[in-house]
Amino acid sequence: MEVFIAQLLNGLSLGSMYVLLVLGFNLMLLVAKIIQFAYPHLVVLSMYVCWGMLKYTSNVFLVILASIGSCIAINIATEPIFRLLAKRHGLDINVSFVVSMSMTLVITDIMSHLLNYGFPIAFPSKWIGKSVIGFGLITFSSGQAYALFGGIAAVLAFFYLLYRTRQGRVLRAISENSLLSSIIGIPTIKTRVISYAIAGLLGGLTAIMLSKMLGSASPALGDFVGMKIIATSIVAGLGNLKGGLVCGLLLGITESMAIGYLPGSWSNAISFMMMLIVMLIKPEGLFGIKA
Amino acid sequence: MGKHTKSVLGLLLITILLLCFGDFGFCAPLATEVAVDEWEIPFLNCLTGQIASIGKYMAWSARKAASEINAAGGIKGKPVKIVDYDTGVSPDKAIEQMAKIANKSLISLGPVPEACIMAAMPIAVKHNLFSMTASTTYEYSIQFFPWTLSWSPPTDKHLPPIAAAWAEEQPEMKKVVQFLEKWACWPGMADAHAEGLASVGVETLNIEVPTDVVTFGPLVVRALSNKPDGFILVCTSEKAAKIIIELEKYGWNDKSKILIFGSADDMPLYTTGKESLKGCYIYGYLDAAKETPRWKEFREAFREDHGGLDPTSLSTVYYDCVYMIKRAIEETAITGDPEKLMEERVMIRDHIREMQNFDGIQMSWSMKDGVPSDKGSFLFIIGEGGEKKFIRYVDVWD
Amino acid sequence: MSPVLYYFLSLTGTNILMCWSLYLPYRVGQLHFLTVACMLASAYFSGYAARELSWPFALILIFGVLIGALICLIPSFTIGDAPCFTVVIVGLTVIFIFKTAVENIPALGGTIGFFGIPEVKGLLPLTYLLLAGAGVLIYKIDHSRLGRAASLVFVDKATAAATGVDIKRLGMFFQIIAGGLAGLAGTLYAFLIGSLFPEFFSLGIIGTFMCMLFVGGHTTMWGIIASIPILEGMQLFLPSSVASWRQVIYALTLIAIVLMLPGGLITKRMLINLTAKMFNRSDTGKASGTIDKCIK
Repeated sequence: MEVFIAQLLNGLSLGSMYVLLVLGFNLMLLVAKIIQFAYPHLVVLSMYVCWGMLKYTSNVFLVILASIGSCIAINIATEPIFRLLAKRHGLDINVSFVVSMSMTLVITDIMSHLLNYGFPIAFPSKWIGKSVIGFGLITFSSGQAYALFGGIAAVLAFFYLLYRTRQGRVLRAISENSLLSSIIGIPTIKTRVISYAIAGLLGGLTAIMLSKMLGSASPALGDFVGMKIIATSIVAGLGNLKGGLVCGLLLGITESMAIGYLPGSWSNAISFMMMLIVMLIKPEGLFGIKA
Repeated sequence: MGKHTKSVLGLLLITILLLCFGDFGFCAPLATEVAVDEWEIPFLNCLTGQIASIGKYMAWSARKAASEINAAGGIKGKPVKIVDYDTGVSPDKAIEQMAKIANKSLISLGPVPEACIMAAMPIAVKHNLFSMTASTTYEYSIQFFPWTLSWSPPTDKHLPPIAAAWAEEQPEMKKVVQFLEKWACWPGMADAHAEGLASVGVETLNIEVPTDVVTFGPLVVRALSNKPDGFILVCTSEKAAKIIIELEKYGWNDKSKILIFGSADDMPLYTTGKESLKGCYIYGYLDAAKETPRWKEFREAFREDHGGLDPTSLSTVYYDCVYMIKRAIEETAITGDPEKLMEERVMIRDHIREMQNFDGIQMSWSMKDGVPSDKGSFLFIIGEGGEKKFIRYVDVWD
Repeated sequence: MSPVLYYFLSLTGTNILMCWSLYLPYRVGQLHFLTVACMLASAYFSGYAARELSWPFALILIFGVLIGALICLIPSFTIGDAPCFTVVIVGLTVIFIFKTAVENIPALGGTIGFFGIPEVKGLLPLTYLLLAGAGVLIYKIDHSRLGRAASLVFVDKATAAATGVDIKRLGMFFQIIAGGLAGLAGTLYAFLIGSLFPEFFSLGIIGTFMCMLFVGGHTTMWGIIASIPILEGMQLFLPSSVASWRQVIYALTLIAIVLMLPGGLITKRMLINLTAKMFNRSDTGKASGTIDKCIK
């Protein structure tokens, strides 16, 4: 039982990170109609910004600001590319997938060539913090606590924004029908840019929480996470925010349990086998496509 | 501008770029005793992708040797130039690049890493090209003998004494968990560790590390639930560091009961693990604390160009390789003449495979049948700032 | 033949086959990465059958194609008309499962790789002969009722269904043919290169194939023939000073092409206009505008 609870805690904190990533990914899919495969890579780049800032200042506020700000700025900087893409190809999410896949190569190569001589980065122990609970194997670090509770807070804030504010209604209107939205006077381009900014904000927050939870990052991290995020999003139902919430959390728990109990080299294959079965039985995803 | 015109212009531009930047090998050698203007040494390395950083410091050490040689007058009066060929850690690219090298070169450095060795070395063998691979595992190299060399003896002879030596340092250990990433030759290395531990009465339990694992908490919980007395880490250097950090988080403070395998003695171990590594054991092929002037100069230059990090086992391999090539060319009648390419390839191969008393950056050793016959392995404890404290020399060559 | 030319031609040939295997299902709007899994399965089967069982090459080739087609046939019953991204994920998951299986089967070389596949004399000319055959088959399909139906499905599934196109059967047909082509590519790759590695069949190779498809042009089978030699040539002839940025160059080229030339280097409209000019027909150009809008 002790092992099970320990693995559950690991899974929950990891799952909360997946949830944030899936939410940001789905938001851009719903509003901007793009598959931003490079989204997890941008988050990792943001972790590098956080690490870089920590080298120069111990002011936590500045570090957080720089990390979130960079993620928002870079994410918004990709918007004109996708807008031009939409102009050339129409709203073809397949082409956006191709372009964002290319972006992942560029970001990974920049990290592996130019940042920290290409070596993985490690965050200072002061930043990561120590264990807050420790009963045998049931250990909960401050990084995990930030990830779990920060994740929950961010998700709640996100859903509040989406379902309880005027801006949220605008975002939802565009995701339902962008043509009609523009006819009734909603500024579609501005709203899309805002969706990039919100996704960037979620990404920046995820970067900070991941840096506290994992304590390190490397150029490969984006690839490791990217595939899982896109798969989770599709299994949940593309663009389905609530589905993404459930499936992101489930992915974290399943992954932890698989690593904890199954033979290592087959554990991911078993996860992928489950995804394959879902896809073959319900091609539109568990919760239905919303995009 | 019409779309067709753009397409045609696009094609034209790419063609012009290829022609401008293309290396079509039009340079002809001079008809002197040495038939080349400079000694081009191709290095089939990994310069792109996720482990580009490793390729870069290996290239750095080869270049360091080349610049020293050039400053001292070159080889037979001609300068040395290291030419990069990128595998991108992709076997098919390695094949293409090796095909380019096999066409014209006297000798080659690389390929890096293992998957590329397996893909590209058959081409080197087919075209009688001696290529000095980066593999630290005999089993990889032996398949391509005599067209490559090995830096270590067979794994099952080499590693059991090292694992046993570590276990002897920790006599109270009875059960060890080995974190194993099933990549390339690492399962064989893990078996060799287990054999060594069994010889001193220690039981080994393997826990597999998935390649794309994001967080290591679940693995560590699983390992600790088996109540082990120690750990061996057989995985990438970055993962090894992360597992150690996670073990620390779960209250494992006796670092002397952690052994890191030799292939993880790499920069990412130290940049990720930092102070958490203090007290862990590691085995390797170089002693970074050595105090010879040549080594100190190398170490300082390395630190300066790598953010203060110390060189690791693989850092010196290609430094020594370039000097081995220098000595082989100088001690034979090699001219670099393309007309005599095949003959000179055999000449340089035979000379390097049997080179005696080679003065390496770390130690002097002799080659026998393409394997160093008296080059030692070391057991260290990692100290402050990643510095390694020498514990034991393990003689594994008998 | 120089080794550079041999490997250039070998990889160009197998890559054209693989990109055609992606091109066909993309005619109905599906990015069918399952073909990479077909290539993996056929390549490993071929290597094993040749080295361990000493099967004759012709028999291996037939089985290689059949294995590829069979792997695509089974899931096509459910994903024949599935949305693009369901097909993407099915492809990626099967690739990962197959790769994990190979890595865990010692008889297939595990993570070290499978090597020592015997050479087949005269394989390179045979490869190009088979490539020509595959090209004729794709050309025939493209210019048949099936090809026109696929164009309609790509533009508007609802209209296609309303005009009587059986979208699922059409998708299944393209997926199975694509699987067969990928199986052929896998077998030829195994024998031409002589060694196989699980690492090869990963996201990187999918990115490369997509780059080749979209740079060349995904609206016609000919685009691939233009892009692959250029992109393969770039790898071979780029100087070492820029070699380390090759991935970035690839990625930026792809982004630039997709943004500037939506249809890739060679588009259907371009070919129709060329044909019109060659045969001095003024009416074809007008029609082609409509076609290109439809095909994108």
